[in-house]
Amino acid sequence: MPPLLGKSRGLLLPLLLIGGWEYLSRQDAAGAYAFVPLSTIGQALLELLGNGELLVNLLASLARTSTGLALGIVFGVALGVLMALSSVANRLIGPLFHSIRQVPMLGWIPLIAMWFGNGEFSKVLIVTLAAFYPMVLNTYQGFRHVEGRYREVGQVLVLSRWQQFCHVLLPAALPSLATGVLHALAFAWVTAVGSELFLSSGAGLGNLMMNAEAGARMEIIVLSVLCIGLCGYLMTLLFTLLSRHLLRWRNIR
Amino acid sequence: MNAIAHHALPHSTTLPCGALEVRGLSKAYRIEGQPLPVLDNINLKVRPGEFISIVGASGCGKSTLLRLIVGLEGDYQGDILLDGKPVVGTSLERGIVFQDHRLFPWMTLSKNIALALKNHPLSQVEKDRLVAEHIALVNLEGFENAYPHQLSGGMAQRAAIARALINRPKVLLLDEPLGALDALTRVRLQHELQRIWVQQRCTVIMVTHDIEEALYLGDRVIVMDAHPGRIKHQIQVNLPHPRDRSSPVLQGYKEQLLEELVGH
Repeated sequence: MPPLLGKSRGLLLPLLLIGGWEYLSRQDAAGAYAFVPLSTIGQALLELLGNGELLVNLLASLARTSTGLALGIVFGVALGVLMALSSVANRLIGPLFHSIRQVPMLGWIPLIAMWFGNGEFSKVLIVTLAAFYPMVLNTYQGFRHVEGRYREVGQVLVLSRWQQFCHVLLPAALPSLATGVLHALAFAWVTAVGSELFLSSGAGLGNLMMNAEAGARMEIIVLSVLCIGLCGYLMTLLFTLLSRHLLRWRNIR
Repeated sequence: MNAIAHHALPHSTTLPCGALEVRGLSKAYRIEGQPLPVLDNINLKVRPGEFISIVGASGCGKSTLLRLIVGLEGDYQGDILLDGKPVVGTSLERGIVFQDHRLFPWMTLSKNIALALKNHPLSQVEKDRLVAEHIALVNLEGFENAYPHQLSGGMAQRAAIARALINRPKVLLLDEPLGALDALTRVRLQHELQRIWVQQRCTVIMVTHDIEEALYLGDRVIVMDAHPGRIKHQIQVNLPHPRDRSSPVLQGYKEQLLEELVGH
């Protein structure tokens, strides 16, 4: 199969959806309300690009996501490593962690709002938590499942604990960590927008949507949804490429 | 020989040789609370620079013996002495090559070999020179930057041998090092092993399933019996190295060994 055709196969379904959307929007007035015509969405895009609203809100959401993601990854890896390498820590923290993990992210929002208000701190905290869970779980799995035969090589070469960590355990756990980051990324993005819907202060794609709803601007809501989907997809794609490079030593045959 | 070896000779000519002595060594595992003896009263004296082959049925504890000597297992009765001193834990004085090469898949070949020098007080230039030298020793020039999955089984095993040799161990332990290779690669690597050993002359203990391999390489072949593992018989192979694989003397030893192993 020619490479171009192979790559563009993923576009087939979205194009069909757009076609169906446009068809429905042309049926009657109700259809045109629910399924905003593409031309109206295009106009809204130009309008929002023109007055900078789209960019401001998009950047606000992205900044929130990356801050929360970075914090979630750092704390998540730290706790995951601690639980994997210290059985005392695992027994001490494990039960608490696994019970707290059961509370859905949306369930935290009222509590966090009451504690910390509805400002930037609360939103970043929610995103951090969302990224934190998958990071802890995958880090723990990765470090727990380092093969004994590799640990033995470290022992035979008389590596110190720190050397064993850097040269054996960490690289062996890296594929699992990459999976963790991939999950954390998806959760972070989704909860960033979610937190903006619930804590409606400041800028963000979620806020853009809420304002559009208040002003009955369906085309802006649709545009925001598209934007959220596209950005999430691009971020995942970017990270997949990065991890493929970092894990190029793996035998993918 | 020992005295010479301990002095600073150019690295690749001679390795420091170690005299290994195993006295009254017994080891048992606990399976569901019941002790299961794996080694029973093993006595073995290995001269510095001697090549010992150990053959025996599976379950005779030959691998356990190597793991005890290298220090990956403890909790045994008896003594394991290297140059008169009891062995404690793992040490760079004792190197091992496993049946699976155990190169780290996330490191290139040269990084894998260089990792063995991590705790050496040498300069980086010296380390680089040693790594290059050992890659040349096992004929892997040109593959320095290859990842293990890009190497064939034989090449990976040669890299593992280089990694074990680079620390100039007094004793080199080979745990069925060629066991996972195809017949042709195996013969070729036996030849390589002999060449390397003739060049380096360190003490070697090799565990193998292959009688011909044991006789071709060993100065002495130890036959072990299973349940519990113990030394049953020893054969002194009086033939200078390098040896000819098809020598009639080796044939004679082979029949003697087969008789011993199959047992009548």
